[in-house]
Amino acid sequence: MLSRIADSMFWLNRYMERSEEMLRILHTSYILSLDKNPTGVHNWRPVLQIFTGITPDDIAVKEKNSVESLQFLLLNNKNINSLRVILNKARENARGMQDHITKEVWEQVNHMYHLINNPKTEKQLKSNDTLSAIEHLLKNCLLYAGITDSTMPRGMSWSFMSLGKYIERCLVTIELIDKHYHTIEYDMELTKDILYWRSLLFSLSGYEFHLKNYRSTDYNYNVAHQIIFNPLFPHSILYSLIRIQKYLADVVKENNPSEKYSLLREFGRLHSNVEFADFEWIKRSGLLGYLQELRMELIHFSKALSHSFFSYS
Amino acid sequence: MLVLMRKQPFFIKRPRMTAKELLINYSGISSWDEMGKAESIRAPYQQLLDAISSLSVEELRQKDIQAAELFMNQGITFTVYSDDSGIERIFPFDILPRIITGTEWHHIESGIKQRLKALNLFLRDIYNGQQIVKENIIPAWLIASCPHYVREVHGIQVPFDIYVHISGIDIIRGEEGKFYVLEDNLRTPSGVSYMLENREVTKRLFSDLLSGNNVRMINNYPLLLHSILLSLSPRPVNNPTVVLLTPGIYNSAYYEHSFLARQMGIQLVEGRDLLVNNHKVYMKTTRGLEQVDVIYRRIDDEFVDPLCFNPDSVLGVPGLMGAYRKGTVAVVNAVGNGVADDKAIYAYVPEMIRYYLNEEPILSNVPTYQMSDAEEREHVFANIDKMVLKKTNQSGGYGMLMGNSSTEEEIRDFETEVRNNPRDFIAQPIINLSTVPCFINGSFQARHVDLRPYALCGPSGIEVVPGGLTRVALREGSLVVNSSQGGGSKDTWVVDV
Repeated sequence: MLSRIADSMFWLNRYMERSEEMLRILHTSYILSLDKNPTGVHNWRPVLQIFTGITPDDIAVKEKNSVESLQFLLLNNKNINSLRVILNKARENARGMQDHITKEVWEQVNHMYHLINNPKTEKQLKSNDTLSAIEHLLKNCLLYAGITDSTMPRGMSWSFMSLGKYIERCLVTIELIDKHYHTIEYDMELTKDILYWRSLLFSLSGYEFHLKNYRSTDYNYNVAHQIIFNPLFPHSILYSLIRIQKYLADVVKENNPSEKYSLLREFGRLHSNVEFADFEWIKRSGLLGYLQELRMELIHFSKALSHSFFSYS
Repeated sequence: MLVLMRKQPFFIKRPRMTAKELLINYSGISSWDEMGKAESIRAPYQQLLDAISSLSVEELRQKDIQAAELFMNQGITFTVYSDDSGIERIFPFDILPRIITGTEWHHIESGIKQRLKALNLFLRDIYNGQQIVKENIIPAWLIASCPHYVREVHGIQVPFDIYVHISGIDIIRGEEGKFYVLEDNLRTPSGVSYMLENREVTKRLFSDLLSGNNVRMINNYPLLLHSILLSLSPRPVNNPTVVLLTPGIYNSAYYEHSFLARQMGIQLVEGRDLLVNNHKVYMKTTRGLEQVDVIYRRIDDEFVDPLCFNPDSVLGVPGLMGAYRKGTVAVVNAVGNGVADDKAIYAYVPEMIRYYLNEEPILSNVPTYQMSDAEEREHVFANIDKMVLKKTNQSGGYGMLMGNSSTEEEIRDFETEVRNNPRDFIAQPIINLSTVPCFINGSFQARHVDLRPYALCGPSGIEVVPGGLTRVALREGSLVVNSSQGGGSKDTWVVDV
């Protein structure tokens, strides 16, 4: 497979996964912003911090204004990470490898591109139809995931697509959990009630999962356990790493790159740092330090991966 | 009981028109009509009309809409650039096929084969011994001043001495139905995907008609092309690596590039996917470098190698020409073909045929005046209302002036340009292109057409795909068929009666 094609597969799915995660988070935050919560007006700061690269001053201007924050996150062309910009990028990646993806996948990417650039969507987001616009976009992201799953052949393209998807998912999960524990200053003992954790769990589509699987009221520990260690929860860090491990093994076996061993070692370290960790282990460096280390190692691994397989320029 | 009846004053009952009645209203314009006028319709068209005569106008309209949808859904579009932003459009398609008889086709086909043989020999000659110049058949200055004559490929040996593997020779039909060659496209002719897709769409619209009319098959084109590309591999390996080199997704013909790559099952690559090492071309894959044997390039000469030609080009591959010279990679079409389809050299093709093949040309050229010749130039300007002036190195309907439909000022401006640079222009008498019926706005209307048959030259000879792309000037009376100037296309049938 051409390096450029592998690269495009990887990034197509990174962008699509990012769109899905972002929309789910915005969906949750928007609903939350409708309720008046005890601390006053809903604050968009954490979301703006995760998905945009703007300065704290600029965030301060926008953070209390729902309409402006949503506009900026979804439609602004100057925000290099807005939904419109990343869907445009996703489509460009897809177009450059149209002969390698199925017709159905291409049509869905194309459809979403037209959807986000449709003036009707913009109008909906500005009016009080915001929620249904976000829901419609989110549904289409899920549709994309379903279409790729049921039409793409399971070969190298699939492996590179999946690597992109789970690396992106893992990064977003780390960011999101970090933001929520940051608010309570990483204090595991001062237990917050479930209402506090609802927004995080909804954002990762894990609220029902939590109610079914965790009975005790040690919410701070339980939520962290679900999101970091639970291998059955599809948005947990461990789950993403397990998937990455599989697809990494596949592409390494298929291509046999010269950096094979260093790549596997690097990922192995990252993986065992989650697989064989517990709260005792986390306490040594603190949750903040632990999450930061995971993030750094994951980014490093992703760079090594692109160096091995995609370096064509 | 009182029944309230509402009057419907706006409802006018339209008579159910059928194709047969449309035909009675059909009148060609003042040129050769390929179908013939209502009272004397030529046999192959009669057969088609009999078959569709029972269809109502509404049904024909439905087919028209259906065709447009088929093109749109499959993303068969080309990009038009205006105001910095590209718009994706479909290439307008007319549902009525254009018909060429087997006899007519035989004439066209043998003419094209003869012409391509001569052009290939000319290219070999001009980049090697240059006998044709030494014997004063073509003036040396004309070659030397041709912008597409590429000094850098002089003396390079190409596989099987084939330079023009893929060509599109534009054929027109003038008054009295005589065929002429309008121009030769020997560099990177495009449009073949439209020819193939047009047939696929016709199959869906009029499925029963094709088999009933003995229409010759065209869909083996990708297979023929693929086998020619494979046969050119310089490395004697079982499964040579063939790639299609595209300028990328922003090129207006990108759809065609990805279509052909898919149809042949070869890699579609961009310049950045390739590199040259030790005079060999490699593509960068996830498994490392893989040697490339044959490149079907859809990039113009001046962009293929920044080390050799345009140094600013990022579309090409640095060092490609070095590998080409060494013969480790085959490039299709050969570099430097532009010298043979230059519009000023075009005038000498009949001479080439006589010189290299010792035969009389089967297909005529359109009479061509060299603007560098003072006498011919004055003749042209004296009769400007009957002439079309063309820039020798431009295509796509750009850089031309139709003497009969331009303002005095436009003519004056063009004349100054010509006098400053006479070598860059030629003139031809305006040929009244033949017309065929098109289904436009619910009626049959005559529109001017040309024909671009696609020919493939390989080690085992020349194959011309029966038919080709018929381009239609959709504006009434217009003689410009280029897609960039509001042209459309038709499916083209070669039928054996």
